[in-house]
Parts: sequence; C-alpha cells; structure tokens
Amino acid sequence: MRIDYNIKDKFDFGLFLPALILFGFGLLAIYSSTVNNSFAQENFQRQLVWGAFAFIVFFITYSLPTNIFKSFAIPGYLISLLLLLAVLAIGRQISGSKSWLVIGSMGFQPSEIAKIATIMAIAAYLSRNNSNIDSFKDILITLAIGVTPVLLILLEPDMGTSIVFMGVILIMFFWKGISSFSLFVVLSPAFVAVAAIFGTIYFIVALALVIVLLVTFKKDLFFSASIFAIGLSSGFFADYVYHALSPHQQKRIQSFLDPNADPLGAGYNTIQAKVAIGSGGLTGKGFLAGNQTQLQFIPEQWTDFAFCVIGEEFGFIGSIIVISIFLILFLRILKLTYNTKDEFLSLVSVGILSVYLIHFIINLGMVVGILPVIGIPLPFISYGGSSLLVNMFMLGIVANLYRTRKNYT
Amino acid sequence: MKTEKFGSLKRRAIIYALIIGSVIVLAGRLFQMQILQRIEYDMKATDNSIKSIELQPLRGVFYDRNYKVLVSNVPAYTIRVTPAYYDTSLNKILETVIGTEPGYIKTLLQKNKIYSKFLPVKVRRGVDFRVIAWFEENSEHLTGVDYIIEMQRFYPEGIIASHTFGYTKEISPEQLAKEKEIYKPGDYVGHSGIEKTYEKLISGTKGYKYVLVDSRQRQISRYHDGKEDLQPVKGNDLVLSLEASAQRVAEEEFKGKRGALVAIEPSSGEILAMVSSPDYDLNRFSYYTPKTFLDSIYSDPFTPLFNRATMSIHPPGSTFKMLSALAALDMGIITTSYTSTCGGGFTFGRFFKCHGNHGTVNVVTAIEKSCNSFFYRLIYKIGIDKWKEYATKFGFGNLTGSDLTEEVPGLIPDENYYKKRYGENWPRSIMASLGIGQGEVSVTPLQLALYASLIANDGKSKTPHVVRGYIDDNTEKLVSLEYKEINTGVSQSAFDIVKHAMYLVVNGHGTATHIKLPDIAICGKTGTAQNPHGKDHAWFIGFAPYENPKIAIAVLVENIGFGGTHAAPIAKKVIQAYLNSFKGEGKTFKDEVAVVKVN
Repeated sequence: MRIDYNIKDKFDFGLFLPALILFGFGLLAIYSSTVNNSFAQENFQRQLVWGAFAFIVFFITYSLPTNIFKSFAIPGYLISLLLLLAVLAIGRQISGSKSWLVIGSMGFQPSEIAKIATIMAIAAYLSRNNSNIDSFKDILITLAIGVTPVLLILLEPDMGTSIVFMGVILIMFFWKGISSFSLFVVLSPAFVAVAAIFGTIYFIVALALVIVLLVTFKKDLFFSASIFAIGLSSGFFADYVYHALSPHQQKRIQSFLDPNADPLGAGYNTIQAKVAIGSGGLTGKGFLAGNQTQLQFIPEQWTDFAFCVIGEEFGFIGSIIVISIFLILFLRILKLTYNTKDEFLSLVSVGILSVYLIHFIINLGMVVGILPVIGIPLPFISYGGSSLLVNMFMLGIVANLYRTRKNYT
Repeated sequence: MKTEKFGSLKRRAIIYALIIGSVIVLAGRLFQMQILQRIEYDMKATDNSIKSIELQPLRGVFYDRNYKVLVSNVPAYTIRVTPAYYDTSLNKILETVIGTEPGYIKTLLQKNKIYSKFLPVKVRRGVDFRVIAWFEENSEHLTGVDYIIEMQRFYPEGIIASHTFGYTKEISPEQLAKEKEIYKPGDYVGHSGIEKTYEKLISGTKGYKYVLVDSRQRQISRYHDGKEDLQPVKGNDLVLSLEASAQRVAEEEFKGKRGALVAIEPSSGEILAMVSSPDYDLNRFSYYTPKTFLDSIYSDPFTPLFNRATMSIHPPGSTFKMLSALAALDMGIITTSYTSTCGGGFTFGRFFKCHGNHGTVNVVTAIEKSCNSFFYRLIYKIGIDKWKEYATKFGFGNLTGSDLTEEVPGLIPDENYYKKRYGENWPRSIMASLGIGQGEVSVTPLQLALYASLIANDGKSKTPHVVRGYIDDNTEKLVSLEYKEINTGVSQSAFDIVKHAMYLVVNGHGTATHIKLPDIAICGKTGTAQNPHGKDHAWFIGFAPYENPKIAIAVLVENIGFGGTHAAPIAKKVIQAYLNSFKGEGKTFKDEVAVVKVN
C-alpha cells in the first residue's frame, strides 16, 4: 500500500483517468460514425495512432523539469507565430479554411500549438515581479501578445479558434487579478462588437449600457469618453468584419439565429445534430445502432459533432457520464491551479483549464443547439491529431505541476 | 509572491461557478431533448431515415363479354426528375434524349412548383429502352434524374373503342386537392370513358415498401426486412358487355366515315359495340402525349374527342315513325285495318311532300315504304303531348343513365315548348314534321339504340351499359352490376305489328331490302336526318333475328345522304359479326356469384 501511495503522490489519476476515458468515448464515437463510411473508415485507426503518440507526449511532458516551461515560453511563442505565418503562406485549405500544415500524409494545425504557446507567453509576461495588471501598459501588452495569433488565425479564417483565444486571455486576466473596471474596459469593445453583429438596435442598446456603466464607475470624463469611443469604433469594425467574413461563416451566424430558415443549408447540421441527440432518449439506441449516425445525416460527424454519436447511441445516461467526467477534470485542474503558488504555473494552468472549458462549452452548446455552429472540437473526444496531441501535452503540463507541486508551495 | 488579488478564493469561486453553471445548463438541455422531447425527435429521426416507396397497383384489365382481353397493362419506363437535386442545365440534353419539345421540362417543373421539391416529377412515361441504356451510362452526370418502371395501358386486340375505354391522365391539381388521401402528384387517373367512370373500382390500392435511406437518400436496406411493407392490391378486372368481333367490324366499317354506332343486347341493355368516328389512338395517351398531337386533336374540325354516340344530337328522321305507330296502336287510335291514302303528300296549311306516291297504305306498309303522308296525318290524331309521352317512355328527351361519362338528353318538344317559342297560337303545321322525325326533335345514337332494343324486346330492357361487372379477386368470379329495368308498358300487339313492319323493311319491299340476308332475319328502319348545313345524315336502326332478337342497333353516318344506302350496310355487317360470334368457340362465362345494384 505504501507504493500505491507514492504513485498517487506523484501522479494524479484524477487528471489522467478522465482524459483516458474521454479518449475512449471518442474512439467509440469515431468508430461508430465511420464504420459505414468508406471515405472515413481509416479515421479510427488514425485516431488510435495519434492517441498513442499523444499519450507518449503526455508522459514526456509530465516527466520534464518544471522550470523548463517558463524558459521556453517566449521562444515557443515566437515559433508558433512563425508557424501561423507559414500556414498562411503554404498551408492547405480544408473545408474553407487554410489552417493545415501538411507534412507527408500527416496534417497539422499550427493554431493548436499557438494556444499553449500564447498561454505560456502571457503567463510569463503577467508573472513578472513588477507587473501591474490594472496598468494600461500591462493590459495593452498582454492583449498584444494574445491578439497577434488571433489576427493570424482569423486570416485563415478560423473564427472558432479565435473565439477560444479571446476567452482564454480573458480568464487569464481575471485570474491574474484584474479589477472589475479594467475588465470592463477590456470587455466593453468586444461586447459592443458582438451586439453590432446582431443588428443596429442591439448595437445602440449595448452602447447605452456602456454609458450607464461608465457613469457608475465614476472615472474622469476624458477617460470615459475614450472608452466609449473605442466601444463605438469596435462596433463599426465588427460590422465591417462581419461583412468581410466568408459567406459560409456569415450563413452560420444567420442560421444560428434561425436554424430552420435554411434547413438544408447552414442550419442543416444543427437540426440533424439535435435530432440525433434527442432521439437517443434515456438509454440510447445502442452502439452502432443510431440511425442518424449510421445513415450519415450529420456530415463529418467524427470531428466537431462527435458528441452526437454519444447522445444518440448511449442516450442521456451516456451523455451525462461524459459531461460528469469533464466536470471532474475541470474541478481537478481548478483545484490544482488554486493550490499552485507559483504565478507563472498557476496562470498556465488556468489558461489550460480555460482552453478545455471554452471548447467544452462552445462545442456542446453548438451540438445541442444553444450556441451557433462554430467549428471547434470537443477535447479528447473529437477526431483530430493536432488537437488531441496539444490537449494531452497541456494535460502533461498540469500533471507535471501536480508532480512538483510541493516545490512551489 | 502572490498579490492580494491573484488567484483569490473569490476568483476561484467564480470560475467554479462558471464550470458548474455550464455543466448544469448543458445537462438541463440534454434532459429537455433526450427525456422530455424524445418522442418528437424520435419521429424526426424516423422520418429522416425511413422512406416509404409507393408501389403502384396494377390497373384492372378490361375483358370483352367473352373474356377476351381488350385492355391490359405492360411495363414501361418512366423518367423522373427530383427538383431538389436536379440541375436545370440538363434540360436541353434530357429533352433531346427523351424526345419532347424544347422547354417541356421547364414548363413541367414550373407546374410542379406547388409540390415539395423532393417529390420526383414524372417527365416522360413510356420511354424507349435505348433511353434507359443512355441513362445508365451517364447516370453520374444526371443528378436528380432517375427512372422507374410503371405499368401503362396496352390494347392487345387492336380494338380502339377510344371513347368507350377512355384514357388515363396525370391527375389535375383540382382533383388532387379533393382526394389528397388517395392520390399523389404524378399519379395517373381515369380521365374519360370507363377509365373514369370505374376509376375507384379498377385503380386498386397502393402498396408501400419501407426502406432505410442515408442522408443522400440512397437506399441502405429494407426496413424491418420488409415485414412492415404493404403489398399493393390490384384493381378489379372489368367484364365489359362489348363483343370484340362486332366492335372490330364496326370500327373498320367507320374508317373514313363520320358518325356513330351503338349496338345493344335488347334483353339486358348491354352495349355490344359502340363507335364514334373519327376516333383517336389511345396508345398515344397511354404515356407521354406530345403537345403537337394534342393540338392536332383539339384543332381537328371533325372533333375526334367528341363522343358522337352519346353526345351528338340529330333529328331521328323516319326511324321515329315506329314511335307514332306504337303510340297510335297502343292508344287504340288505329289498327292494321286503318288506312290512309298517300297521294304524294299531305296538306296542313301548306303542302308536306312524301318521297313517292304510296297509294292506300296501312300502318305496316307505311313503315315498310316509309310513307311520310301516313305519319303526317297520324301525329295529329295522337296529339303532340301524347306523342311526347310515348317518346319519353322509350327514353327520348332524357339521359339514358348509362355508365358512359358524357351524355346529352336530346329534345322532344311538346305543346309548352312551342307555346313558349311561338305563343298561344303556335302554327300546328309544325307537328307534321315531328311525325316523320324532323324538325326540333333531336336524339342521340345511344337513345335510338335503346329505342331499337325496346322495340325488339317488346318494350322491356335495361339501362344501356358497357360494364357487365367485375371479377372478384378472391373468388375469381364475376360480380354482376345490376341496372335499372325499363318497361314501356306498350301493348304486345302493337310491338308485333311494328316489328313485322320492320321485318318487311328489309325482307319485304321496303327501303333496306339490299341488306337482306339468307340466314339472318334482320328487321330495321332507315332514316334521313335533314341537315340545313350540308348533306343529310343517314340513319339506320334495327335488330336481329326477328324471332328472339339478340342484337339491336343504331347507326348514324353524317353528311352522306339517304340512310338505307349508307347506314344500313354497316348495321348488317355488325349484326352478322355479332351473331357469328356465337358459332365456333363456346361461351365461357364465369359463374355469376353476386349482384351489385347501380343507380
């Protein structure tokens, strides 16, 4: 029993087992959705290979000396920016987005690497001894670090990943201890921008709300006016960006507002996904027995819509099990993040948590039809090598943290 | 080195709340979808993947009275287009291959816009196998195009009877709106003739095959191994009263002529042959009907679609003389000993001409020689209203109530009619013309055939009809349809006298002795319908044999002149053909098991 205790002390099964189980559910979903599809039958084996590779990466990361992460933060960030530039230059376009670097037969998405690289860069910057999160300079530089990859990713264009970045930056700001006013300053342009996409009336209402909040915070007039001006211009900018978006992305936003408006077009996936999950009922139709999945009513179901297979074939019970495992994982990382006294590592950890959490919320929200269809995968479950690899790498960092947690308390 | 705010408990609690909150929202949403709305989604999933494929039933076959197949079905290829998947740039090539006029598909798709775009539209029925071969070769370029095998009508005996059989046609939006639960767009329904009258009986019941389809509507497998499938139920076969050889002869005799012929079995009212000429080729209607063909039919001055047998009205001419004779004999106004002198005409206000001087004639010779003078006088003795009463007893002035789709009643004028037209003091001289079947009186060939039947069968017959009954699919036996009996109530002695006179018309010294046959005693009467617009129409009515008549007939040949010369020989040939059909092969009537009342 003593040995057992030692292992538990160094290795957190509360992190590893949830990831392993989720990966297992993912394999079932991928198998089920590709077994009858002659174009995608190899995806199951591919995912197995990627999985093996990813678990190796996990254990390597787990074993690394913890201080290596911080020293590697800035070079890693710069390399990831280079990769993002490379993908724009020589990347391959798959389903409308130029987000793939192809080496041999293996494709890779640099935006996945950029996630963790950016998290580490921001964590490194914010954990300087003399940092002041509420200073204009620190906010601006942090935003610059975060937004640079976002802009490159938006050029691919990959809106989903860009949204994830925004969320991650926000949560890291928050964890660092940003004041509610500074948070408001950061958030208000984004808030106005989103409202502007919905329409003129929302835009005006959002601006009015910004004015009300500015009045409550009681800052000086010039400062308040500049915040308002930034909000106003970001609204127009968003409108401009919206019209500059590719038509398929515009359609996705429209079809979220009313999926039945174009049931065979952009709203098709949402409707079919809901039908798949809803028809699963309490216990599901059984493995390989879901009509929606087996008859391929959801295109490329093994990627972003993999959860539909679980919903349809394993029912409410299966869905709740998967969600609960995610919950366990999230709470585990959060606990670890809180207990880690080193600012850099704690910030990296919260960044990783927010990547998982935002993917989870947006992906499931989209699959059950309460959020627009934004193409981002469900961590550990969806088919995709780069995302699995990076997710396991990030989990390796968290596990590493656990291993050496006593050194930093 | 932690600042006061960094990673505070409060901030942890907020992230904690975010995690828990999102999990609760998602779990709640899943509960709503998978537990509360499960049935609704389940139905949608089923709708998605289980597709019902309609199985068309076989349309009932038409037999003649001796169980010869007159109308049957043959498989034919139908090219369809599903608008949702179809690319209209294929129109041109498709139109060329299937041989329709340019713009045909566009118009057709336009017309079908009111229905779901996932519903295939039948573009062309009965395409050549060559087209199917071409389709199979190029199918990957022809998205949204497919073909199915359908049954179409086939006429194995080469008998046309176009107006009697009628044709099927794609259902009209109006009819579809009324009978949504039975029909779907693109279904063919009886549009005229028997096909229309007996549509419900012969169309059968559709079946359904259930298959699983994937998102591209490709069939993956049978649903529940086909256990839920419903087989189509074949339509009932009809047994017609038509007799193939008589019908064929009648059609041949009318080639190149305009007119109509109706032959009836006097005892039963069963129509043995019926022709309206010119007719049209039903084969052209059984699949794709080119617009040019339709246009040529519609613009034909001789109106081939018009059923002259039941729809054309003409004065009956001298064939009506028997009616006056029967009325007068039945009323007791005259007997055979009553005579009248012809003298080449009759004066009532003005002079009415006879076509000869027949001297002193009684009722028999008056019919035999078709003496006008005798009948000019006779109608004044009968009186116009009494005359009309007798005409009505024989079915004139009313629809016969036959099972043919379209019929007109004709006209028998009475005193009121003339009062309305000319006032209280209407010129009574008009009546003289009525006595010889001219003037306002107008009848259809079908009515005259019924009249001939009633004379032949001593005043008793049934509503004329072409369908004897249908075959019960379980018992394979004929279920007879029962038709209303007609009884004129006219005395037997009157019929005896008139029938004898009609016998003499052919076999004595009458107007149709040229059709006399050594072996068959034909009775008849010629008539000429005056035609103010051109040459007169020729009539002949008759029956045979004299004793125990088996066939009564009415023949009309339009714009040709005297009835005896032109109409009578046609009647003779049809009578011969029909009576000869009894010789040779024995009758093979199936047992009659049930009787169903019509009317």
